[in-house]
Amino acid sequence: MIMAESVERTETESPAPEEESELVRRARKGDLQAYDDLVKRYQERIYATIYHMTSNHEDANDLAQESFIKAFQALKSFKGGSTFYTWIYRIAVNKTINFLKQRKNRTHMSLNDIDFNAEHDTDLIALISDNTPRRAAGLTELQKKLNEALLKLSEPHRLVVVLHDVQGQSHEEIAEVMNCNIGTVRSRLFYARQQMQAELADYLK
Amino acid sequence: MNENENNFESLKRLLAFKKREIPPPGYFNNFSSQVLSRIRAGEAREPVTAAERLFSEAPWLLKFLQVFEAKPAYTGSFALALCLVLVFGIVFAERPDYSASQPLVTTQVADNSTPLVSVSPAVGQIMLAPDNTNPASSLQPVASLFGQQDSLAQQASFTIPSN
Repeated sequence: MIMAESVERTETESPAPEEESELVRRARKGDLQAYDDLVKRYQERIYATIYHMTSNHEDANDLAQESFIKAFQALKSFKGGSTFYTWIYRIAVNKTINFLKQRKNRTHMSLNDIDFNAEHDTDLIALISDNTPRRAAGLTELQKKLNEALLKLSEPHRLVVVLHDVQGQSHEEIAEVMNCNIGTVRSRLFYARQQMQAELADYLK
Repeated sequence: MNENENNFESLKRLLAFKKREIPPPGYFNNFSSQVLSRIRAGEAREPVTAAERLFSEAPWLLKFLQVFEAKPAYTGSFALALCLVLVFGIVFAERPDYSASQPLVTTQVADNSTPLVSVSPAVGQIMLAPDNTNPASSLQPVASLFGQQDSLAQQASFTIPSN
């Protein structure tokens, strides 16, 4: 299973607003089957965001589950001012940032496997096949370096990079999730990219 | 901005590699059922400990403590502020200005010839006047902050004509 493809598939199969609001309405009344449908729709994106923020599968698993549990408990307070997706994203992001602040300087990476098809990714091959240290490093080393570079960013900067450059969200969507204006998102993204570029200079020659 | 975007094109391609990281096979098959099991278990379970009950009733307290846990500098600042308040409290409590330097009523037990309660001359005049009906005469003299004891005593405003 390829995460990128899974995400794309989920996005194309996103429910119509009426359908989602109907599921939310039923879940608010305690219908767990309706909530199960909501969880299945968004589990991959929520998990992926948390995983890219923590670089740790076990932490991402716990935080993603807790985010969905907290969302279910707080469904009564969901007024429908934003989409359910944005609302649960905000819960997951806040939970993750609180977690990261608490475990500061106690970082432990537990990285997921790399998709087998990555070896056939022409863009990726172009990046690691030159006569540079990259060739010897290979995909696993590149994965480690990337995650280390991400972990060196502050939580808000990391979040912007993850949501925009990894998850492909727009500036507007990120601003809504992070509860800030678009200018702040842009400036954070610019600063974070600069820092990442400096960290990964060997791979970007 | 476009120039900046071009500068970051290689980085963006590198970051796209993150999408290739995938969780263990079949991970998402059981994810929602695990979430629902935990929700059911949570609904069945009541808050057990006093701390859990307290935090569930006052979530702001938990957030307050989490701030301290996350930022040790806040803990230090809070402790320092508490110490300063304590020190100032002790210092001001021991200052003579703040202790009762003059008693409200002066008692003398030296000999029987002197009255037990001494009053200011003005008050004495009031109490000795037999026809006085002014209720102020029943008041005890109160020491003011400036050491003037006769501030409440007033001359009688009128007298009852004798028959």
